[in-house]
Formats: sequence, C-alpha cells, structure tokens
Amino acid sequence: MSSVALARADEREFNPWPAVIFVGLVVLAVLFLAPTIGVLLSSLKTTKEISLGELWSLPHSLYLDNYVKILSDPAVHTYLINTALVAAPATAASIALGILAGYVFSKLPFPGSDLLFLAIVSGMFFPPQVILIPLFRLFNGLGLIDTLWPMIFVHTAMGIPICTLLMRNFFATVPSALREAAILEGANEWQVITKVALPLSLPAVAVLATLQFTWIWNDFLWPLIFTHSDAMRTIMLGLVFLKGQYSVAWGVQGALSLVASLPTLLVFLFFQRYFIKGMTMGAVKG
Amino acid sequence: MERHTRFWQCALLALPLLVFGVLVVWPLLSSFYYSFTNWNGFNPHYQFVGFGNFARIFTDHLFANAIINTAIWMAAAIIVPTCLGLGLALLIDSRVPGGAIFKSIFYLPICLSAVVVGQIWVWIYQPDWGLLNTAMSAVTGQPESYAWLAKPDTALYAVIIAWSWQQTGLAMVIFLAGLTAIPHDLLEVCELEGTKFRQRVWHVILPLLRPATVVVVALSVINSLKGFDILYIMTGGGPFHSSDTLAMHMYNESFKKYHMGYGSAISVVLFLIALSIIFIYFRQLKKVDEIYE
Repeated sequence: MSSVALARADEREFNPWPAVIFVGLVVLAVLFLAPTIGVLLSSLKTTKEISLGELWSLPHSLYLDNYVKILSDPAVHTYLINTALVAAPATAASIALGILAGYVFSKLPFPGSDLLFLAIVSGMFFPPQVILIPLFRLFNGLGLIDTLWPMIFVHTAMGIPICTLLMRNFFATVPSALREAAILEGANEWQVITKVALPLSLPAVAVLATLQFTWIWNDFLWPLIFTHSDAMRTIMLGLVFLKGQYSVAWGVQGALSLVASLPTLLVFLFFQRYFIKGMTMGAVKG
Repeated sequence: MERHTRFWQCALLALPLLVFGVLVVWPLLSSFYYSFTNWNGFNPHYQFVGFGNFARIFTDHLFANAIINTAIWMAAAIIVPTCLGLGLALLIDSRVPGGAIFKSIFYLPICLSAVVVGQIWVWIYQPDWGLLNTAMSAVTGQPESYAWLAKPDTALYAVIIAWSWQQTGLAMVIFLAGLTAIPHDLLEVCELEGTKFRQRVWHVILPLLRPATVVVVALSVINSLKGFDILYIMTGGGPFHSSDTLAMHMYNESFKKYHMGYGSAISVVLFLIALSIIFIYFRQLKKVDEIYE
C-alpha cells in the first residue's frame, strides 16, 4: 500500500495529501449516496411537499402514510410472495447443480472435461436476449406462460455457469487426499460430496447464495416476458406496473422502491463480505 | 475403480448438463434456426426465408441506429466506471480512515435492481423538482426545467450516467482486490528510491494491475451488452429511438411487433458480438497468465 510510505514522509514535513484524499472521498461519498437518500426522503413526504420542490429538504415530521399504503396493498403482498417463491427454489437448485458439476470438474476430471467446463462457464457472458425467443416458445408450448415455473427453471439454468465456476474453484482447494482417504474407507462419491467436500465448502455456498438471491430477486427481464397477469408478477415488475397506478404519488413510489429493495439491502448488509468475495472470485478467473 | 469413476462422472453431471442443455444450449441453437424464418410468435405455420432477416438488417435504419447507440453505450460503460473505479480504489487503498465504510458506500448501488436504479435516476432528471435541475438552478440562479430523458440529445447519456453510478462499485472492488496483491516491499523500495507518487502509479501500480484491468473491462463490456432493464425503465429506447440499443431493438421487434424471426436474427448478431468479446477476453487472460507465471 502506497501510503505506508506516505505516512513515513509525514514525520519529516507536513503532508497535506491524506487530508485532501479524505475530504475528496467524503465529497464523492455524499454524491454517491445522494440518489439513495433522495428516495428515502421522498418516501417520508406527501406528494404536495415533493411537487413544491421540497424533496431534498429534511421532512418536518415523520410521515409514514406512504409505507402504510404500500404495506397494506394486497398486490404488493402478492408480488413479494411471488418473488420469494421464485428466488428461494431457483437459488437452491442452481447451487445444488453447481455443486454436482463443480465436484466432477475438480475431482473427477476426464478427457475434454476442461473444454466442457469452459463451455458452461462462457454461458455466464451471453446476453439473455439470445435465448429469449426459443424459451418463450418452449414455455408457451408447455402451457407454463403466466406461471412462476419458467422463472424458476430459467434462473436455475442461468445460474449454473457461475455456480459451477465457484464450486469447482473451491473444491480445488479441498485436498484430494481427503477424498482418497474417504474412498479407501469405503465411501462412494456421493458420500464424499455430502460428508466431506460440502461441509468444507460452506463459505462458497454462502457466497453463491447471496449472489444468486440478489440477482434473481432483482431480475426484471424474465418476468416481463413470461408473465402477464397481475397475480403472477414479481416485485420488480410490480414496481413498474404500480408506477402507473400511483403516477404522481412520488412518495408512495419511493416507499415501494425501498420495500422492494429491502431484502437485497439486508442481504448486502449482513453478508457484504461474501457478496464482494463472490463478485471478485467470479470475475478474476475464467 | 475405473468403472466406478465413469459411473459417478455420468451420474453427477447428468442433471446439471440436462438443465443447462435444455434451457441454454438448445434455445441458443434454436435462435439460429428461427432467424431463418418469418415466425410471428404464435402462428404454428411459418416459412423459411433464408437469409432474408439478415439482409433486412442492412436496410433497417433502426438497426443501424441501434448499433451506433450500442457502441456509444458500451464505450461509455467501459471508460466511465473503469476510470472512476480505479480512482476510488487508489484513494481507498491509500490507508484513509474509514476505508471500509467508503468501500460499502460506493459498492451499495450494485445490490439495487436496475429497476430501482432507473427509478431513482428518473427522479434525479425530473424536470420540475429533480435533483439535477434543482442543483443547476441553485448555481445559475434561474429556474431550470430541462427534460433530460425526453430530449434525444441527452437521453442516452443520462442513462449512461445512471448505469455508471451503479457499475463503478464493481470495478472498484476488483481493482481493490488487485491492489492488495501488490507486494508492500516493492512499493517501499520505490519510495526509498525517491520516486514520486505519480511515477509509482504510472510505472509500477498500473502495470501490475493489468490482470484486474482486463477483468474489469471485460465485465463492463459484457454487462453493458446485457444492459436492458435500466434503458427499458428510464427511456424505453426513446425518445425517437435515440436510446435504442441492440438488446432494446431486439425486444421491440420480437415482443412488441411480434417479428420473432427478425428478432432472432438480431439476437444472433448480439450472440456473435458477445462471442468475439469472450474470445478476446480468454486470449487476454491467457496472455496475462503467461506474463505472471
């Protein structure tokens, strides 16, 4: 780190740089936070206050009607439940499939397995629009359009590349001697996975769970394509839809945005370490 | 033993490969197939039109428009978050107090959905009481009511700024991870040799950050190619197609006009662009490996 040196220079003469850097970062941080704070403030205000240009001032009193309105709206309940019903199974399923594939690629390689691994991982990089139309046709043919199933299936499948990548890299750090010892003791591969490898890989599973949950919760494209009735909307789609209903009720919209983001914000707050690790781990090595 | 291994390889890979094959690989191949038809999305009867859809690409002025917008969008999405992220990473890495808090603040937007980010920025650009116009009036002293998202000249760039706000944190953490990998001793030696901070950044830190830079740039390109939600929310590709990108154009043709055959042809072009980027990315990674191993 460059400032080990900077700190040493400090002793000799006054060095203004650390202070300048700190102030600069504070200014940037305020600029970065401003949009989010604006939404928070607006959610605590009446429409009248906002349209009078008072959005960016502190609220005079604690006005919570916007939240009451949102949280008592049965449509919002439906959206939140639908999103949870998609995100939970799809997160679990994609990680489970990633564990299976990752284990084979790291502990049971075969001729050509590296190439197969690369092909699967490259699936991470393609724009989802590329497979939009055939998937629409497939689920339409199966009569599953306007149910939650297509979203669960597609998120599971689209999660396989990142889950396989992270699990393979993590299993690679589990010593092969452990596996061989277990095999000699008479365990089969399934028992090695569930009893030996998996308990050691829980950190990687936590990383994937935070990443996958956030992505699936925030997704907008798949529900846009696969649903059309109100009863099947997820929260992000519902957010856009309710925008029309509360068209100038900006405070209500703000409250809704925050409620919709709350699960991912909580995940971020509590699992930030895993989240950042996942983002960099997934990115750094292909 | 050999037979057992073979059995487990097949048994464990069967389900992941089946799901991935049916829901990703097969649709990808079908996209190629549909791109040669005039399917409208519902009618079971459709004809093969050969390369008709691809020929149409060259006469579709909206496609040319979308290509130009995609190029602008991608260039900006590479340059802005990468430079900002690198700057922030260097500042935070200089042992400033509260570094962890700064890191969280800059990283926070990445866990918001594109829908929410879009909504937040629609408000910032709101003509009457949005933050931008309010701030501008405060500076100029006269009321400003420029409709940033409703003017063809500014719509695309306004969305690019919102996008950069969200993506900068990602670039920052990858650069930070890269910076922690640079040995302290090396920088201390440079310091003792009497190099200036700027020289250290330019001649030592940046070259050593090359692997991180490759990753950040590749991710920026890939994410920007996928960028659809935020455009859909903020401008819907408008006004007058001024913020239409390839992904947006493909959606409009397929799911608004039900030209699924033509939409497939656009998605094939999108696929080929992504494929060439991935190819370059893997080659760069290999080169980086060769240098550092």
